[in-house]
Amino acid sequence: MRVFVVVPAYNEEKTVVKVMEELFKRGFNLVVVDDGSIDETYKRAKSVIDKNGSKGFIYKHLLNRGLGASLRTGITAALLHDPDIIVTFDADGQHDPEDIKNVCRPIKNAEADIVIGKRNFDDMPLAKKLGNQIMNLITRIFYGVKINDSQSGLRAFSRKAAELININSREYGVSSEIIGEIKTKDLKLEEVPMKTIYTDYSMSKGTNTKVGLKILFKLIMNILK
Amino acid sequence: MMIYQIIGIFIGFLAIIWTILRFKKGKLSPGMMILWNLIWIVVIAVSIYPTLTSFIAKFTGIGRGLDLALVLGLLLGYYLIFKVYNKLETIEEELTDLVREIAIQNENLNVPDEKGDDKKP
Repeated sequence: MRVFVVVPAYNEEKTVVKVMEELFKRGFNLVVVDDGSIDETYKRAKSVIDKNGSKGFIYKHLLNRGLGASLRTGITAALLHDPDIIVTFDADGQHDPEDIKNVCRPIKNAEADIVIGKRNFDDMPLAKKLGNQIMNLITRIFYGVKINDSQSGLRAFSRKAAELININSREYGVSSEIIGEIKTKDLKLEEVPMKTIYTDYSMSKGTNTKVGLKILFKLIMNILK
Repeated sequence: MMIYQIIGIFIGFLAIIWTILRFKKGKLSPGMMILWNLIWIVVIAVSIYPTLTSFIAKFTGIGRGLDLALVLGLLLGYYLIFKVYNKLETIEEELTDLVREIAIQNENLNVPDEKGDDKKP
């Protein structure tokens, strides 16, 4: 099974090299998308890619276009290299590479088309927990899917699912949109518990209450449009 | 004739000329050209016959002529903001498609970081 790990990275020069090396060590193929970083993310990531020959690919967004756009580029690019499974993995070091096996397993066993790693909300600080719960609620209201962790960055897609899903969001709304696509495209979803590594660095990013409210506003505007 | 009437007529005519010039340069779609000219014609008409607004106001039940003008102006303003918002969304979307396409075509290429310290060929 050819597993491609898509790593979207925006200004992650501190963590991206370590994350990439851990993934290469486990034999995965890598697709790194630098989303218009203004630090040395691309340079550092490129040097790791060059060391690993034909197992890694890197793409540069010349302008910062958001998480959703990066995931789209990553998935499109991975599909060009004949994958069996595509995994999305955050570049800030909050995921445990060991969890990739767990999210791939249901797809290998043909039990699911999309697998989402769910974080344990009890470990989360209040602001993050609230933000994520708002997003779960929004996902439920707007897309009609009940899910435990709608904003998880660790997901696995079967090739079929990756080809079918259609993403339009450019920013953090993408996570909910992917969940919505599971329903529209009639795909099978499974949630698998995963570890989250909280560092001060990874804490400063991702879904907090402010991001949650911003996404809510976007979703309402999309409906009115 | 009051000063505001003269100003209204003057601005209206200038705006019509400007709108038509923009249309001729291809910067305005025919639909928007007609819409804008209609708006400016209404501005000129109201400047010449201010009582016109009172008449329509009575007819629609809004009350005073000035109120009607404000209500219409507000609605028009909202409509235009909405149009601009949608246009901006479209442009953002197109920009994203462009950036993604370039990224995929430039697979594994040496693209310099923004700092520009990686200028190897």
